[in-house]
Parts: sequence; structure tokens; C-alpha cells
Amino acid sequence: MSSIAEASLRHSRSVDETVAFPRKKKRISGRQIAILIFLTICALFFCVPLYVIVVTSLKSMDQIRQGDIFSLPWSLNFDAWVTAWDKSCSGTVCQGIKVGFVNSLEILFPSLVLSIGLSCVTGYALALWNVRWANSFLFVLFLCAFVPFQIIMVPLIMITGFMHVYGTIWGIAVVHAVLAMPILTLIFRNYYKGIPQEIMSAAMMDSGSFWRIFGEIILPMSGNIMIVVLILQITSIWNDFLIGLTYGGIGTQPMTVILANVVITALGEANYNVDMASALLTAFPPLIIYFVLGRFFVQGITAGAIKG
Amino acid sequence: MAFRWSRWSPQFALAPAGGVTLVAFAGSIGWTIWMSLTRSRRFADYGINWDEWSRQYVRLLKDDIFITALKNMVVLGVGSLLAIVFGFILAAMIDREKRGEGVFRTVFLYPLAVSLIVTGLAWRWLFNPTLGVENFLHQIGLPWARFDWLNYPETAMYGIILGTVWQGSGFYMALMLSGLKSINSEIWSAARLDGVSFWRLYLEIIIPMMRFTFLTCAILLSLGVVKAYDMVYAMTNGGPGQSTWVPAYYTIDAYWQKQNLGLASAAAVVMLAITVAIFLPLVLITAWQQRRQEARAQ
Repeated sequence: MSSIAEASLRHSRSVDETVAFPRKKKRISGRQIAILIFLTICALFFCVPLYVIVVTSLKSMDQIRQGDIFSLPWSLNFDAWVTAWDKSCSGTVCQGIKVGFVNSLEILFPSLVLSIGLSCVTGYALALWNVRWANSFLFVLFLCAFVPFQIIMVPLIMITGFMHVYGTIWGIAVVHAVLAMPILTLIFRNYYKGIPQEIMSAAMMDSGSFWRIFGEIILPMSGNIMIVVLILQITSIWNDFLIGLTYGGIGTQPMTVILANVVITALGEANYNVDMASALLTAFPPLIIYFVLGRFFVQGITAGAIKG
Repeated sequence: MAFRWSRWSPQFALAPAGGVTLVAFAGSIGWTIWMSLTRSRRFADYGINWDEWSRQYVRLLKDDIFITALKNMVVLGVGSLLAIVFGFILAAMIDREKRGEGVFRTVFLYPLAVSLIVTGLAWRWLFNPTLGVENFLHQIGLPWARFDWLNYPETAMYGIILGTVWQGSGFYMALMLSGLKSINSEIWSAARLDGVSFWRLYLEIIIPMMRFTFLTCAILLSLGVVKAYDMVYAMTNGGPGQSTWVPAYYTIDAYWQKQNLGLASAAAVVMLAITVAIFLPLVLITAWQQRRQEARAQ
């Protein structure tokens, strides 16, 4: 098969060579150059904050006080990073933002399991089974996706308190699962709706069991959407601030909350290099995911657009 | 008839989601609306005196800070429209000049992967009056340049708008780019044959064709503006004074700082009402446009 393709390719190339007129090399027009320059300037503008965070975090306070925000650090020292990680103060506790990092990791896993598990099964049932009021339920979910968080904030505090999980990792996970459910269910439902009817009919003939079809056929088929949703959820849970602030107790606050405490409510003279190093460390995990798996990230962001 | 699990298990599987919708969404919204009609202060007080059901709302509207918050929300909304415009310009340019599409897209979209708190703190640092960008501008010989917007009540909101636009433009660019790519390629060549000018092509042909995408962007933008909180918290924490409060900030402050459940609930209900007021007409227009398009296709 490949040899045929190769042969035809060679053939077409030889056809090209026999053309009498040598092709003009494509020249860049003035307008194209203008567009590229404009885009490059915009790209630089987008890079400025990240650049400034990185340089500031590598400077010493002496250099920062000289006041040239865009200059490169005099020497490469990671002292501010070490201080930020290990010793920066959130309120009166000076254990660094590593506390927040660990908390965020601990929050991440139960939140992922709860939110994806709940919405995946719901999406599957709504898409592929004959369920009563499926369409009305979908419409209600669609509406729920737009509800501002503040209007259900206090009742959720009471509900998680009633469940004895308020202030714990599981409390935060439950709230993440609740808030993500409408939009994730819609994403899963739309994906499963694309599964051919024949596959479902064959599966029904074979076993007909709701959970067996889910485990043996549907889950193995949902690799692609799982990656998209996983990345969407990891970044939004990691970057979340308000839920962590509202439902996190002492010792369960996520990294963003600790970061805000370190920088905004700090006492005494501000150490800008430590502040920026803390911000950078907080931003690292989602940024790495973005630069490695960007394609899936963009898919997730556009699919989960209404999540905000 | 025998009881068949296969028939019932899908319904059971939906029970958790149904329960969440009923309790955490419908029930909770109802509870908050109820609370907004009571005199609850620190703790929930379920009695409603129907003669003065609106007292929390009256208090809200008499509160200058809440009015400021509403005004700020409008200012933020209008200012953030720049993100859509900017996003469209970027998308149109990337779409025209295919070179480097991947790189540009990666750069314009990375702010979305970063926490709003981190973004806000970065901008707060750039706006630092003594060591930030202003100082740099003075050093390069522009002593009149001002970049300390966050320090003054009159300009602080513009600082937040700048940060928000920086953060959101990439997202609208991505939406616009997929909209532009779905436009039939024949239109480009037809326009070139007809000698339609660059500006007319975009203003009179492309943008009207993409009104659907623009509407989607407008819906998402306005919902984001109503919810705005993290960015304000990280950049100004509401200050200077209370000049950059937004409704979301007001609601959370009313609950945690003022410890007034009734007032917080009323503010939350106003937020919901604004969301509904923005959302309904836009969705109706969208549905109407879609139907018209379908009718034309037939």
C-alpha cells in the first residue's frame, strides 16, 4: 500500500518537473508583513505579565528597589522560590505555599472522581437510554449551568455542614462536583449521542445491562472526551479560588487561597520577589498541562465555555 | 410482569444527578430567595413579615456601595467588550495569514490556563506606583505617563478592565477563529474576483455572517462579568475605598464580613435576576436567528 503511494507521489513530482514554467517563489506582500508584525506585537503584549513574574521572582529585593521592572536579574538566584515554597507567611503561619500545593493535590483527586463520575453516568443515561423526561431534564441542566455561584453558596454551606464535610477536602470536592455537573453532563451527553445506534442495539442484544454496557463498551470508547474533560477539570479545580475560600477550613485551603493570603494580607514590608515566585509556583501545574496538551485544553475550554 | 433491572437501572443512575439538581440548585435557589424576604441577620430566620417583604431590597438600593457595585459591573461589561473586538481582530489576522498560527494561538490562549488570582497579582505588580511600569515609563523619558490606575478610585476600574481584557481575549479569539474557519472558502475567492476592498469584505460580509458567533461571545462575556470576583479580589481587593466593588464582591462581603444573611441573599437574588435579564433575550434572539437560518436553508 505504501509503495503505491510512494510511486504515485514520485510520479506526480516528475509531472511537476516537466512543467515548462518554473514556479515563482511565493513572495510575502506588504500587507502580510504588516499582519505578522501586528500579531507579534500583540504576542509580546500577552507575554509581558508572565515575563515580569519570572524576572521579578529571580531578582533580589535590592535590585527590585532600583525600580526597573523589565530588566533581567543580575544573577540567577532561586532564593525567592525557596522562600516562597518553604517559608512565606500566610497570616501568622509561615510554612510556605507548599502547604497549599499539598492541599490542592488532595482536593484535586476526590473532586475529579466525584465530578466526572457523576456527570459521565448521567450523560450516558440521558444520551443512550430511554429515560422519562430526558429532554426536560437536559433543559433544566442547561439553565443550571448559568446560575451564579453566590445564589447557592449559603445553602451549600449548610448542606455540607449537615453532611459533616464542611471545611474538609470532601466538602470542597462535593461542591466542585455539584457546580461542574450541569456543564459536564451536557458535554458527555453530546459526545455519547454521537455513538451509532447499531452499537447500542448490538450491545442491548448481547447483555442489555445498563452497567455492563457502560463498563465494557461505552467507557472504553470515551477516551478522547475523557482527556478533554479531565484537563478542563484539572485546570479549573486547580485555579479555583472562591470555592476553596468558602468551603476550605484551616489546613484544607487550596494553593490559590494560600497565595492570596501570602500576597494580599501580608504584614510588614512586601517582598515582591517572594510574591511573584509564589504566583509562579501556583501557576506552574496548569501551565505545564497547557503547553503539553494544549489541543485538548482548547477543546475543553470551548466546550465548557459557560462554566466561566 | 417481572421486575426488570435493565429497565429501571437508567432511572436509578439518574437519581444522584436529579437529587443534586433538586436540592443543590432548585432547592437552594428557592431557599436563598426565601431568605432574601426575611429579616435574617447572622442566622437563618424563616419567618416572613409580608408587609415588609421588600425591606432587604430597599436597603440594597439605598446602599450607595451596592449602587457603585452595579455601576462598576456595567463599566466592566462595556470595557470587556474590547476583548471581543480584540479577539476578532486577532482571529481575522491569524486566519488570513496562516504562518505561525500554532505559535500565536498558544501565546494568546495561555492566560486562560492561569488562575485569575495569579493574573490579578501579576497586574497588581505591573501597576505598582513606585516600582512598576509607571517607573519604567518615567525612566525612558515619559515623565507625564501614568500607570498607577489602581491607586485612584476614578481609574481603578480601568485597570481591572485591562487585566480582564488581557485574560479573555484569547478565548474569544479561539471562538472567532472556529467561526471564521466554518465560513465557506468560496466567499473569499468571490470577493477577490469582485474586487471588494479589505474593509468592506469584513464589515459588510464576514461580520454579518458571523453574528451567531458574536452573540455567543456576548452571552458568555456578560455572564462572566456578572460573576467577576477573583480578578477584583486579587487586583484591588475592592479598593481604593469601596470603589471597585462588584455585585459578587458585595454579596460575599455581606455574608462573611457584615454577617447579614438576609442582605447577602437579596444581593445574590439581584445577581440572579441580572443573569436572567441578560440571558433570556440573548437566547431568544439566538434561537430566532437559528430558526431563520434553518428556514432559509429549506
